[in-house]
Parts: sequence; C-alpha cells; structure tokens
Amino acid sequence: MFPTPIEKRSRAAQITYQSLLPLALILWLLPLIAVMLFSIRPFSDFGAGNYWGMPSSFEFFTNYGRVFFESDMPRYLMNSVLITVPTVVGAVALSCMTGFALGIYRFRGNLLIFFMFIAGNFVPFQILMVPVRDLTVNMGLYDTKLGLVLFHIAFQTGFCTLFMRNFIRALPYELIEAARVEGVAEWRIFWFVVLPLMRPAIAALAVLVFTFIWNDYFWALVLTQGPGAQPVTAGITSFNSQYVAQYHLMSAGSIVAAIPPVAIFFLMQKHFIAGLTLGAVK
Amino acid sequence: MPIIVTGLITILIGVGGMIAYFWLSNYLLDKVLFPAKGENIGRNVRRATAIRPWLFVFPAVFALGLYLVVPVFYSAWLSVSSFASSDLAARGPLANYVAVLSNPEFRIALLNNFLWVLVVPSASTFIGLLAAQLTDRLSWGNIAKSLVFMPMAISFVGASLIWSFVYHPDPEIGILNAIRATFGAEGGRTFIDGDIVDSFWLMVVLIWIQTGFAMVILSAALRGVPEDTIEAAIVDGANPFQIFFKIKVPQIMPTILVVWTTITILVLKVYDIVAAMGNQYRNVEILPTQMMQSFDSGNYGFATAISVIIMVLVLPVMIWNIRQSRAEMR
Repeated sequence: MFPTPIEKRSRAAQITYQSLLPLALILWLLPLIAVMLFSIRPFSDFGAGNYWGMPSSFEFFTNYGRVFFESDMPRYLMNSVLITVPTVVGAVALSCMTGFALGIYRFRGNLLIFFMFIAGNFVPFQILMVPVRDLTVNMGLYDTKLGLVLFHIAFQTGFCTLFMRNFIRALPYELIEAARVEGVAEWRIFWFVVLPLMRPAIAALAVLVFTFIWNDYFWALVLTQGPGAQPVTAGITSFNSQYVAQYHLMSAGSIVAAIPPVAIFFLMQKHFIAGLTLGAVK
Repeated sequence: MPIIVTGLITILIGVGGMIAYFWLSNYLLDKVLFPAKGENIGRNVRRATAIRPWLFVFPAVFALGLYLVVPVFYSAWLSVSSFASSDLAARGPLANYVAVLSNPEFRIALLNNFLWVLVVPSASTFIGLLAAQLTDRLSWGNIAKSLVFMPMAISFVGASLIWSFVYHPDPEIGILNAIRATFGAEGGRTFIDGDIVDSFWLMVVLIWIQTGFAMVILSAALRGVPEDTIEAAIVDGANPFQIFFKIKVPQIMPTILVVWTTITILVLKVYDIVAAMGNQYRNVEILPTQMMQSFDSGNYGFATAISVIIMVLVLPVMIWNIRQSRAEMR
C-alpha cells in the first residue's frame, strides 16, 4: 500500500533516502550550528585557519559570562520579558471578550466589526508608524515599555479576535442555549461555560503572540531608544555594533537573544503548531 | 527585584481592570438600567440584549480605532498635507506622491519588493511542501519537522545576524566562503556587495524562516487527504510522483493558497532583514526600508506617501480575503 512507500522500495533507494535527509537537515541548520560553535571559541581562533576543526579551547563560560555581566544584554532581556508578558495577557484577555461577542451574539454591526478586524489584520504596520509615534509621544509614553505594550495589545487584538471568534463559532452552541434556558446570567455563561472550553485556544494564542511580540524589531525602533526600554531584538543590534568584529561575542549574543523564543517553541510546540494551524486555515 | 514587582502590579491592574469593567458593566446593564422585572420586563430584556454585545466589543474596538483606524486616515492625510519644503508644498496636494514615484530609487525598491513577493512565498511553499511530504511517514519525521521549523521561532533580526555569518566575506568567518576555501577557491567572495543578485541572498533568510510555517500547515493538510483516493491511484498504476502531483497536491490546493497568501502579506511588510543586512546598499532597498529612511530624515510627507502606496498594494489581498470570509458565511 502506498502510505508506507519507503519501506517497500529497494534497499539502495532506502539507504539514500535515509542518509540524504539527515544531511539536508544538517545543511538547513548549518548557520545555527556554526554560530553556536563560534560562541564557544576563543577570539584567537578566528584567523587561525582552523575553521572546521575543534576550538583550541572551550570558552563557553568566558564568552557567555561577558555577554551576561559586561554588557546591557540582561537589561534588554528583562525589557523584552516586561513588554511581552503584559502584551500576551492583555491581548488574550481582550480577544476572549470580543471573540465571545462576535461568535455568540447576532447583533447589528456584528459583521461590520468582524470585517474591520479582518481588515486590521492586513493593514501594513508602516502606515501606522508616524501617527502611532506621535500619539505615543503625546501621551508621554515615548521610550517607555508601557507605550510599546499598549500599542502591541491594540495591534494584536485584530488577529487574536479573529482567532477566538472562529474558535468560539466551532463550539457547540447548544451548551450556551441550555445555560440560557436555565436562566444563567450572560456574564456567568461567558465566565463559567465558554471560557473553560477556550483553554486550548488560549494556550495556542498565548504562545503565538509571545513569539510575535518577542521578535518584534520595527516597533522597538520606532517607539523606544536606548537600554532603558528597548527589547532584546533592538538591543542585539546595538550589542553587535559595540562588539564589532569580536565574532565570538557577537555569536554568543545572537544565541542568547534567540534562546527564549526557541525554548518556548520547544516547550510548547504542540500549542504553537495548533495556533498556526487554527490561525491560518480559517 | 522591584522592576518585576512593578511589572506584576501593572499586569494585575490591567487584568483586574478588565474583569472589573466586564463584571460591572454587565451588572449595571442587568440590574440598574434594564432590570428583568417590573412592568417593562419585555422591553428591558430586549434592550439589554441589544446593548450587551457592545459591552464585550467596546474595549477592543476602542483600542483598534485609536491605534489602527485613526492612524491610517491620519497617515493618508499627512501624505497630502505635510511637505518637507515650501517648494514641494506649492505643487499641490499630490506633490509627495509625484516626487516619490518619479524617484529612480523608488523604482528599484518597487522592483525589489516585487521580486520578494514573487520568490519568497513560492520558494517557502514549495520547499515546505517537499519537507512535509518527505518527512511524512518517517519514524523520526516529527523530530525532523521540529528542526526544519525551529528558525520560525527566531526573530528576523536574529536570523539576519546569524546569516551575516554565512555571507561574511572572510573565509575564516563566513560559512559559504569557508566551503569555497575547502574546495580550493582563493580568497573570499563578498556576497552582498551592491550587485544585482544581492536581494536573493537576503530572500534566502526569509525563506529559511518561513519554510517551517508552510511545512507545518501543509503536512496537516496532507494527513487529511483521504486514503482511498491514493489507493485508487495505486490500483490504477500511478507512480509516486503522479500520486503526489496529481492526487495529493490538487486536493490540498486551498491550503496551499492560504499559505501562499499568508506569506505574501508578510513579505510585503518585511523590513528587519533588509535593514539589518543590506542597509548600506541602495540596490537591495525595498519600500519599507525606503520609508524608514524618509522617516529618519524627518520627511514625514514622503514616509507617509510610501506607506500609503504599500497599503494600496496590500488592498487587493485584503478585499479578496474579506470577500472570501463573507462567502464562507453564507
């Protein structure tokens, strides 16, 4: 039968297939592997003509120690956490409420608002840049984490609400009707009936939004400056210009900046993929 | 650490505020404004039902209006009213657009943007489809998938920095040059140096990131292809290639299109990669980086005009999507 084609083909074909695939994978990850190896080399290794060989000494602790204790990297990381976590909480909470209203109630304006959210999803963020910066400056929030958080929440709400609405639409409507017949108040229906059912969607959305926000660079440049409020995406570029041509430190810094979202991805892979699938195919 | 405490307090105030808003507004509606008792009970219940959805929707609509709807119109207005010089202002409201459109650099940026839109979505979708099919029924397929997918979690800037190690002109640093040196090539090649193919080197980075996305969505779709259609094809003597291209691909075509458009929209907005890797070269310029340049030099008129042009380019996809979801609702 076809669904198990590899096992049935000739031995030679099997061996090529089974060995070419890992090779392709290694090639795919080669940029990452190289940077990881760079980050544990001593500085003297660059230019010693020993590219593919072993590092002359393992400098893991020296290199990463310098990233953590001699640069602004910890501050940038902290800023990223303080920007990302509130945004995730805020955007998910807002979109639960809005998604509930759009998914459950039929009211005039429902479709209009729904289309507005779809449209908001497609608006290129460049067109928002000048006005949003002016607005943030006028509110006195320029170069603060709060300014970034507020904007991110508002901007993510479009996508999150669509996501939640589509998820709620797929829930069994009878449950809600049954609760209504029993005379349960609407806000209790939301809190005690719908919200518990939305747990998988909340987890998926939270992981997705976490990586979106953590990886944002554009708005970090537009709304913040300097290590006081800038997240790690903007910080890593200043880090790199500070340690220009110190390739061992530059690569260690890049790895440090990339680890949190990658770790979240591996820990919550199931939710991440569920989120992408739910968000894309509807 | 006091900074964590303030962060936590902010979150608590935010969430507490939202719950309080939600509970209080519903309470007010049900108990004070339109109580479900007394002589007007029917009318009251009807009114409460009509108003309630707006209570739920209001915060998000307000936020979206403030940060999205108003800025779009404000930008459009700025593009016809903010001029860098009085000379420009004298030439009428469309002067910014005329100036931007007649700039030869704008044409380069537009062409590059066009190439990005052409190459990146098709390459990511194709490689993603290939990866999805090749890892499909493999015992360690899921591990392979995670590894292909991993770049997706890295930020565009992070990926650009990692890839600048790939393209580095020094064979002691750059992987590509190290490979060339291993095969006996003399000296290093500068990859991003101002010639016509530079953009393609940068596109590779985004393809590297987005392939994982395409693969994940498409492999879910491939799993959904009904087995009996494949069995029937085998009975009819189809070879694996025919099965893949003539049986499986047509059946997952809608998903392929979704993946394609999603990546296309993303590509239109991409800024980070070009800014981080090729900013000193005019020939890799795309519309968003050009816009940022005008912005940095304080020319808000040019910047907003370019952003409106980007918006116009996205508009067809947006309208198509709204129509699509409208058709689904009927």
